Amino acid sequence: MHQSTAVDNRVGSRAETVGIALQAKSIAKSYVIGGQSRPVLDGIDFHVDIGECVFLAGPSGSGKTTLLSILGLLLTSDSGELFLRDRRVDGLSEVERTMIRRERIGFVFQRFQLINGLTAEDNVSIPLTMDGVPMREARERAGALLSRMGLAEHRQALPSSMSPGQCQRVALARAVIGQPELILADEPTAALDGKSGKAVMELLRELTTEFSSSTVVVTHDPRIYDYADRICEMENGRFK
Amino acid sequence: MRWNLAYRTLFHDRGKLIAGLVGVIFSVVLVNIQGGLFFGLIHKASMLVDRSNADIWIGHRGMHNVDFAHPIPERWQYVVAGIDGVDEVQPLRVEFGEMSLPGGGYENVVLVGIPETTDLGRAYKVVDGPDNPLDLNDSIIVDRCDSEKLFGPDVGELREVNGRRVRVAGKSNGILSFLVTPYVFTNYENAVELTGSDPSQTSYLLARVKSGADCGRICQQIKQLLPDVEAMTSDEYAKVSINFWMTRTGLGLSFGAATMLGLLVGLVMVGQTLYAMVLDRISEYATLRAIGLSERELMSILAFQSALVSSIGIAIGMVITVILKTLLSTPRATIEIPFVLYVGCGVLIFAICLFAAGLPYLRVRRIDPHTALQS
Repeated sequence: MHQSTAVDNRVGSRAETVGIALQAKSIAKSYVIGGQSRPVLDGIDFHVDIGECVFLAGPSGSGKTTLLSILGLLLTSDSGELFLRDRRVDGLSEVERTMIRRERIGFVFQRFQLINGLTAEDNVSIPLTMDGVPMREARERAGALLSRMGLAEHRQALPSSMSPGQCQRVALARAVIGQPELILADEPTAALDGKSGKAVMELLRELTTEFSSSTVVVTHDPRIYDYADRICEMENGRFK
Repeated sequence: MRWNLAYRTLFHDRGKLIAGLVGVIFSVVLVNIQGGLFFGLIHKASMLVDRSNADIWIGHRGMHNVDFAHPIPERWQYVVAGIDGVDEVQPLRVEFGEMSLPGGGYENVVLVGIPETTDLGRAYKVVDGPDNPLDLNDSIIVDRCDSEKLFGPDVGELREVNGRRVRVAGKSNGILSFLVTPYVFTNYENAVELTGSDPSQTSYLLARVKSGADCGRICQQIKQLLPDVEAMTSDEYAKVSINFWMTRTGLGLSFGAATMLGLLVGLVMVGQTLYAMVLDRISEYATLRAIGLSERELMSILAFQSALVSSIGIAIGMVITVILKTLLSTPRATIEIPFVLYVGCGVLIFAICLFAAGLPYLRVRRIDPHTALQS
C-alpha cells in the first residue's frame, strides 16, 4: 500500500466516519510523451471516508492532479479499480461517467471556471437545473446559499465584476449546492491571498461537514494544511 | 437551464454576436435582392404575355419566345373563334423595326401591333398622353424607361419607323423588353403598314375564353384543327419565354451561382463566428462537461445559439430587404421578390446556420473535461 498516514482532525471533528466514500485500488496511469510511455501514477491505493477531508500534496508532476482527475471520472486509469461508495465506477462509458459526475461529485477549480455570461446566482444554479430542478427554484436555493456565504449583494453580479475570493466562493457554492457525496478541489486557494484562501477553506469545511460530503483537495499551499483530516504526500506517482 | 445558458452566453459577447448577425443578414439580403433582381429581369421576358389580358396564345408550331414570332395566317382566327368556349380572338403583330433618332441615327425596336377594338394584347398603361392614343393616325406609344435609348421623344413628337412617319401619341411606364430593343406599340393596321409585311399573315392569335371554359381542352382542340400551330395558355407561354432566355443565355446559372456565392459567404461567416465563439469558450464548455453536462446537451446549446443568431439575423435581413427593395426597385431594374422567395430564403439560411453549427460541434466533441483542471 502506498498510502500516507493520516493527520488526525486538525480542524473540528468529522461529521461522520462510518464507511468509505471513495476507494481506489492499484490505480496506474501512463502518458505517451515523445513516443515513450511514462508512468504518472504507479499502482496507487487510496481511500476517503465518508465526511473526511483529505489533502493531496506534493511537488509539481507528482501525479496529484492526474489522480484527482481519475477520482473525479474525468480521466480513465490504465488499470486498477475505483469505487464510489459501493459502486464500481471504473470502466464505465463516457455517458455513465458524465451522469455520475453530475449526480455525485462536485468540483472546485483553481481558476474558478465560472461561466462569464451568467450571474453568480445562475452559475450556482447550474448543477440543480442539470438535475431537473426548475429554474426559479434553483435560483432561490442558489441565492440562499450565496447569502449564507456572504454574497447576498453579489447574487446578480457577473464573474468579471467580482474579486477572486468572491469568485471562488461562488465556485464553491456551485460545487456543494447539489450536496454531492464527493467534492474534489484542485488548488482552490492558489489564486487567492492568504485571508481569502482561509475563508474559502473554512466555508468548504463548514459546508462539507453539514452535507456529509467527503473532500479531496489538491494543494501546494501549506497555509491551509490545518483544514485537512489527513494529508497524503505524493512523489513520482506514488504516495510517500 | 440550457436555454438560459445558451442565450445569456450568446448575448454576453455582443461583439461576436454582432459579427454572426452580420453574416446572416448579409446572406439574407444578398439572396433576396439577387433573387429579386433575377425575377424582375426574367419576368421582362414574359411581360407582353403576362399583361396581354389573353387566356391563350396561338403561334407557329415550335414558338419559344414572345419576341421572336413566325407568321401564321391571320384567317385562322376564325377557326379558333369557332371552337366551343372561345369568347374572343384577335391577331397580334410582333415584329422588329428601326426608329429614327434626332441625331440621324437609328434604334432597333420591337413593334407591337394591336387591334383598336380590344384590350387583348394591350400590355401597356398610358401614363402620359390621351386615354386612347392609338386612335390617332400614325400614332405610337413608347415607354418612359426607354427615353434614353430613343433620345427622349416627347408626346406629339414626330419620328420615323422603317422610314415611315409616326407620331409619339402617348407614353407607358415599365413595359420593357428582355432584349435591349424597346417595345413600340401601335395599332394593328399601322403595324402592317410600317413593317410592310404580308397583311394576310400575323404573328399571334390571342384568345379569351368564356368563364368556366377549360383552357387546356381548347388548346388541344386548336392544335387538332390547326396542326401547324402551337396553342398555349398564357401561363405556359410565359414560362416558355422565360425558359428560352434562362437556357439559351445561361442566365439562371450565373444568377444561381451568384446567389449560391452569397449563401456560401454567409455560411462561412456564420460558421466562422460560431466557431470563434466556441473557441473562446472551450474552457467554459470543458467546465460544464466536467460538472456533468453531456455532449448531447452541449450540442443542443450550440444548436440553440445558432438558431437564435439565424432567427434574429433573418428577421433583420428581411426588414432591410424590404427597405432596399422599396428604395432601389425601378422599372428598369425591377426587384421582384415573391413571397415564396422570402420564405424559401429564410428556411434555407436557417438550415444552413444549423449546419454551420456543425463546425464548432466538431471542436466541442473533442473537448476533454479533464482540461477544466488544467486551465
